Amino acid sequence: MAIHEKSLIEDERLLEHDSLVVDGVDVSGHWNTMITPRTIKDYDDDFEAKIQSYVGGENVHRCWQCGSCTNSCTMYAQNVQFNPRYWIYLTRLGLTDELIKDKDIIWQCVSCNKCTNICPKDVKPEGVMKALSHWMEEEGITEKSPSRIFDEEFADQIYAHGRIEDSKVLKNFFKKTGQPLVQGWLVEFSKRMMKGLPIAHGMRMGLNLVFTPKTKSWGKTGEVLQAYVREQKEAAHG
Amino acid sequence: MTQDTVLVVGAGPSGLTAAANVTAAGYKAVMVEKEDTLGGAPILSGYAKLVPSGEWAKDAIGRMVKRVEDDASVTIHKGAKVTKLDGDAGNFTATLSNGESVAAGAVVLATGFTHFDSINKPEWGFGTFEDVLTTTQMEQMVAAGKIACPSDGRVPERVCILLCVGSRDRQIGREWCSKICCTVSANLAMEIKELSPETDVFIYYMDIRTYGLYEDKFYWKSQEEFKTKFVKARIAEVTASGDGRLLVKGEDTLVKRPIVIPFDIVVHAIGMDPNADNPEISQVFGVGLEKHGFIERAEHYTNTCGTTRRGIYSCGAAYGPETIDDSIAQGAAAAGRAVGDLHALVQKAS
Repeated sequence: MAIHEKSLIEDERLLEHDSLVVDGVDVSGHWNTMITPRTIKDYDDDFEAKIQSYVGGENVHRCWQCGSCTNSCTMYAQNVQFNPRYWIYLTRLGLTDELIKDKDIIWQCVSCNKCTNICPKDVKPEGVMKALSHWMEEEGITEKSPSRIFDEEFADQIYAHGRIEDSKVLKNFFKKTGQPLVQGWLVEFSKRMMKGLPIAHGMRMGLNLVFTPKTKSWGKTGEVLQAYVREQKEAAHG
Repeated sequence: MTQDTVLVVGAGPSGLTAAANVTAAGYKAVMVEKEDTLGGAPILSGYAKLVPSGEWAKDAIGRMVKRVEDDASVTIHKGAKVTKLDGDAGNFTATLSNGESVAAGAVVLATGFTHFDSINKPEWGFGTFEDVLTTTQMEQMVAAGKIACPSDGRVPERVCILLCVGSRDRQIGREWCSKICCTVSANLAMEIKELSPETDVFIYYMDIRTYGLYEDKFYWKSQEEFKTKFVKARIAEVTASGDGRLLVKGEDTLVKRPIVIPFDIVVHAIGMDPNADNPEISQVFGVGLEKHGFIERAEHYTNTCGTTRRGIYSCGAAYGPETIDDSIAQGAAAAGRAVGDLHALVQKAS
């Protein structure tokens, strides 16, 4: 018999094949619908410590699930799927698959901190929401935010040259965020800037854009800097 | 002269306290203990560190035993039971299984409890799998100083403690909360982590009842400092995983999802049953039992530590699940009642 209540089952748990033959029996079509179980098979024992390594997540292990955070939450009042109490529980047990299902709403926390003020165990749920958002961004579970893309472009130029080239930062940022390189405000901005700009200076800017000189005796400074930042990150988040 | 003697039955924390308080008031005490060792459950079951003092059971209870053993006014009968009690308040004669007879004016029943036998919950694997233990067995492991799976001696990656084993369970006629298992389990989780830092401890609970001052000293501390994970689920079944581990099945009620989680050791936080000898005790001493099978308490407000029979008092876990600290306090109270009533009888007669 066909399964009629598929609407109650998450899409990823429904297995269907257009054509399938099992032991010589043709079970093509909806006859072969299978549902994978909802059973939780294991915990990720290290995940709680991982989230604790992010700023804001330090006290997540204190939670005893009273639900004060969710009850006081500004976002929960808008959307009952936004449930800090539940995400804290998932974090503690390391049920990351469940967390990732809510990746598109966890970041919606508005940092009103009502939860932080009401929490009887001083868990700082608002901090946990931020920690989770940062973890998801860093793991590539959610897309990078424009500000992170900008920061990375900025830092990469520093590592490479010891300095940034404004127009190049802007150009690459537009490229990476899928924005048109020519934008009305930018054209206007450039026009006004060029007006009265000494010709020699303008030429130098043009040359810098093409050749991108390094800061004097930059040498291996960039590599060292990059290695240091990487080390610090690893020390914090493993 | 019977009115200067109190018969104390049972030499656990409450009985030892009762005897010491009887003699401190200038009366004589006769102790009857069915086992060959004094100290009661903490000694006989080999408890590790006690709640809430954190002292080793053999040290703390050992002091109580020594106090009574060194007391010239206490006569001790070990390995003996009272088989018959004649007379009335102020004038009892007890016949012991060792053939002796004791004349006493009052009786204190400090007969305690019996640990729940996990065999009665076969779905949780005790008696089937070597790595399923009870809290008392785990306490013994802690006291021995090394955490290892009984099956092959490996250090467990994960241990879980199942709460309410033999408590709060209508299925098996145990409708009471054993009161102390939550705190004992939180304490045990800390002791396991202390001995074996690489082991993660999970506690599966329905409610956490670490009441009073146990809250922060045990529940919070084990969660915040020792990283014990508290998971809200009543486990349905413990089975074998096929690769030497155990699978714990249940519903995580906060995630609303079925769970089947591998563990290396499963510990049953066993509850307190009425003393298995209570039907016999009830008959021999002529005292009633309440509906669960513990000693029936008299009207409490003005007949503290009373039973349904005049001149017979009780205290501690004989009345129902009780902590060691409160058993001790009640032992002192029962002694006070016994000698007080004897004193009143003497006053009346003179």
